[in-house]
Amino acid sequence: MNDSEKAPLIPEEGEVGFVEHQDFVSEHPFEFVYGGKIPELRLRYETYGHLNAAKDNAILICHALSGDHHCAGVHDIEERKLGWWNFMVGPGKPIDTSRYFVICSNVLGGCQGSSGPGSIHPETGKPYNLDFPKLTVQDMVKAQSLLIDSLGIDCLHAVIGGSMGGMQTLQWAIDFPERVGRYIALASGARHTAQAIAFNDTGRQAIIADPMWKQGAYDPNEGPDRGLAVARMMAHITYLSDVGMESKFGRKRRNVDESKEHFEVEFEVESYLRYQGASFVSRFDANTYLYLTKALDRFDLHSPDSLDSTLSAVTAPGLVIGFTSDWLYPPQGNREIVESLLRLGKNATYAELTMDFGHDSFLVRAPKLYELIHSFLSR
Amino acid sequence: MIPIDKKRQADFQIIARWVNEGECVLDLGCGRGVLLEYLKQKKSTYGVGVDIDFDKILSCVKRGVPAYQGDILSILKNFPDDSFDRVIFSRTVEQLDDPDAILAEGLRVGRRVTVGFVNSAFWVNRLSAFFKGRRTINEVYTKPWYESQPSNPFSINEFEDFCRVRKIDVENRIYLSGDWNSECSLSPNLFSGYAIYDLATSV
Repeated sequence: MNDSEKAPLIPEEGEVGFVEHQDFVSEHPFEFVYGGKIPELRLRYETYGHLNAAKDNAILICHALSGDHHCAGVHDIEERKLGWWNFMVGPGKPIDTSRYFVICSNVLGGCQGSSGPGSIHPETGKPYNLDFPKLTVQDMVKAQSLLIDSLGIDCLHAVIGGSMGGMQTLQWAIDFPERVGRYIALASGARHTAQAIAFNDTGRQAIIADPMWKQGAYDPNEGPDRGLAVARMMAHITYLSDVGMESKFGRKRRNVDESKEHFEVEFEVESYLRYQGASFVSRFDANTYLYLTKALDRFDLHSPDSLDSTLSAVTAPGLVIGFTSDWLYPPQGNREIVESLLRLGKNATYAELTMDFGHDSFLVRAPKLYELIHSFLSR
Repeated sequence: MIPIDKKRQADFQIIARWVNEGECVLDLGCGRGVLLEYLKQKKSTYGVGVDIDFDKILSCVKRGVPAYQGDILSILKNFPDDSFDRVIFSRTVEQLDDPDAILAEGLRVGRRVTVGFVNSAFWVNRLSAFFKGRRTINEVYTKPWYESQPSNPFSINEFEDFCRVRKIDVENRIYLSGDWNSECSLSPNLFSGYAIYDLATSV
């Protein structure tokens, strides 16, 4: 109450600038938790900053469902779109690339260059489609660990991720405790609520019900675009909050052409969501969407025994961050992870940010989030 | 006038005296984590803080003190019996919604409970109420009532009553005088400004 503290000096910020992706290829068969294997494993990834001689300054960033390996910088001068966490990653930023070697990989099962249902089976020369094995978050993490091996890194300074990336982060801390120096999980949880599973399945049904899906064996140029766009529109609503949507769109209308069809875009929010749906289709694969959402629904740290028994493997200090307006992965789901860790006598911190951006709050630049991550990583 | 951080040092030192080397400590209403940092340095404790306010948790993170942002009663209910060697309420009890239930939970979760509080019956407060008809405003309570959080101040005698009624064993009690520095033994309910109690559950 009476003691005040000065905010730490945050150094001048810079940008990582132009970046290029790289591909990790393992020619050994990769086996999945549920059984099934693929003859070779590919992960597309980007790195920023430099690995030091001791190889102990690496930070792994795990992306969310619709994210990818491009989390900072730009690919070329034509491209205006920055990496999805550009405000967080760069010289002088909380994930400081002048100190840390930062790695971000496209997940296993993804569709941006990593092995997934859309990639070509090296033996048959055809896409895996639904022959791609059942996927779990554990598989994603195991694949990333092989990438980390290939970079000659034994122990990561930190693993960080939000949403699905937060689940991977927790899985890292559980499966590879000796390789994780510390971890930060944002807007995540130990398992999906019934509501989260319900939303995911409605999205999957939109894809599956699209006649272009063809049991997953669609031509990549003629996929179930309508279904995928609807799935994305609905999922996108779950990433926002009612307050956020109200302040951004309210009941604002587009200039409606009365002569047009009755159900054309009328409200701003419709236009926004349709745009989100359409742009998602251009960069995302429907089968990947099915596989990843199913992996998330199956993720359950309460199983096989209890949350405490699963988390008992964790040794690294952790920071879990919840957001007040996140109703997809609500604060309580984040909090219970730290409650369990503290019950087990582990070093864990829970912080909750009051932000109006719903689940997507972790993707929004906010000074408090910025300072929290900066402080936790640099201590 | 003694500056506030000097004032605080005395109660920190007393609490550190009671804490054993390497103990596991839960600090409820931990603020910026200063006490836990102090105990870690002096007694190599493993401490966890609890506070409702994000900025306080952020300060704990900066100090390297693990902390939980949330409600005290809900986090206490999370822990099995005797999870901690010591549960600390340092200037926290007067701000609790349900002090009776929370102190009972503290005694269940901790083998020992330390309570530090400002004695509302301190003579200066009495004089201020009697002559001015106003509450005391000093370097600890700097704000008028309309800028303060709701608070439920109590006196040393009232706390003694509580321990008796609830059959709580008082293992140790230390009274500090008005400067919160030197110890005070004479009529503490009148002359002591700050009290620190070391409690245990009656067996």
